[in-house]
Amino acid sequence: MSTEMPRMFFREAIARAIAEAMRADPRVLVLGQDVGAFGGAYREFDGLYAEFGAERVRDTPVAEAATMGVGVGAAAAGWRPVVSITYMDFVMLALDPLVNYGAKLRYKTAGRLTAPVVVKTTAGARGQGVAHSQCLESWLMSVPGLKVVAPSNPADAYGLMRSALRANGPVVFVDHKRLYPIPGDGPAPDTEVPIGKGRIARHGADLTLTTHSFMVHTSLQAAVILAEEGISVEVIDLRSLAPLDVDLIQASVSRTGALLTVEEGQVTCGVGAEVAARLRERGAAFAGARMGAIAAPVSSNPVLEAVAIPNAERVARAVRLLLRTRDSGHVDAGGGELSAL
Amino acid sequence: MLYRLATPVVGDEVVEIRVLQWHGDAGAAFAPGELVVELETHKALIEVRAGQAGVLRRIFAPDGAWIRVGEPFAVFSDGHDEPMGDDSAAEAAFLADFVID
Repeated sequence: MSTEMPRMFFREAIARAIAEAMRADPRVLVLGQDVGAFGGAYREFDGLYAEFGAERVRDTPVAEAATMGVGVGAAAAGWRPVVSITYMDFVMLALDPLVNYGAKLRYKTAGRLTAPVVVKTTAGARGQGVAHSQCLESWLMSVPGLKVVAPSNPADAYGLMRSALRANGPVVFVDHKRLYPIPGDGPAPDTEVPIGKGRIARHGADLTLTTHSFMVHTSLQAAVILAEEGISVEVIDLRSLAPLDVDLIQASVSRTGALLTVEEGQVTCGVGAEVAARLRERGAAFAGARMGAIAAPVSSNPVLEAVAIPNAERVARAVRLLLRTRDSGHVDAGGGELSAL
Repeated sequence: MLYRLATPVVGDEVVEIRVLQWHGDAGAAFAPGELVVELETHKALIEVRAGQAGVLRRIFAPDGAWIRVGEPFAVFSDGHDEPMGDDSAAEAAFLADFVID
């Protein structure tokens, strides 16, 4: 019954998932800057305005707090809004309605009300400077009541957006500017990717590398470099950051005995820190290190931008260093921190 | 003389492009400036116009197909009846580039 969808752009996976949800459920709305006739900053809402009109696809002013407030309020009133915050940096402006109201509504009303809002936002560095480049997803992972997903390819973007649109509480859907130019094979129609399930993007035996979003591509490139040297890296695409698929990671680390976490955001209180801590709490023994952006703003200068965030060669170097340190016996399971440098 | 049609370079991060629509089938002649094919990146439409006169001889990537940037995806010739090689795009890689606008 289900046939594969054709290869598609990342933006098309998002638009398709939302369009299908809007056809199936009149309560699904889209709110945000340039989501209407313009079709979204990355064309990820292309076609929705033409099909569903201005009532359900609403352009909003440059006022993220107000937009999120309207979205969370509409969700509480029974709608299922997608709130688009173009750049993740500006989710900061909208944290009060999202965190203090949306994420807590079910708890505060003893389950009588929920806020099924999907926040769709784009993170990551691509030439746009200090306040348009940040990866802040780890900030949101600690909020009770909030789910956070971060796909790395069109099929998972489709599947996770579908799941997010059906979830009974706020979900933050984080993608990345550099994912948009990368097409991928289409998902089977109507397939959902469950929130909370990671994916092994590449099998390997010597080290487990956990990552998400665009850094999955960077990490897979590093794994190719390392394979030529005889180092076999298992790359786990987390896909869901809250909740985390700790079982999947633990099973992998129990095979490899080594963990490198890679993210484009900061390592301090980052995604990798949470992954490592969860594993340690379960008693896992492994040599571990975290890699992320250097502790500095991300410049719009392309040379400085590239220096600030991990690339494949630096990820490969971190893997070599971690394995060499473990094998030399200096560190049996010490948590190292490796900045992009 | 035979020529290959390759995608224009469209920014360093675009690696794959989709063919939106051809504006002629194999055998169609194009004058300089005429629209040959429309391509689609993740954010833009690209009109590929002939930069020289030529006859479209073979299409490797029909409407809806994906092509890698820089890869040949059609063969042109100066006249209608110049002998062609086999069907392979690999062979086309060695041809001169068809000039586009």
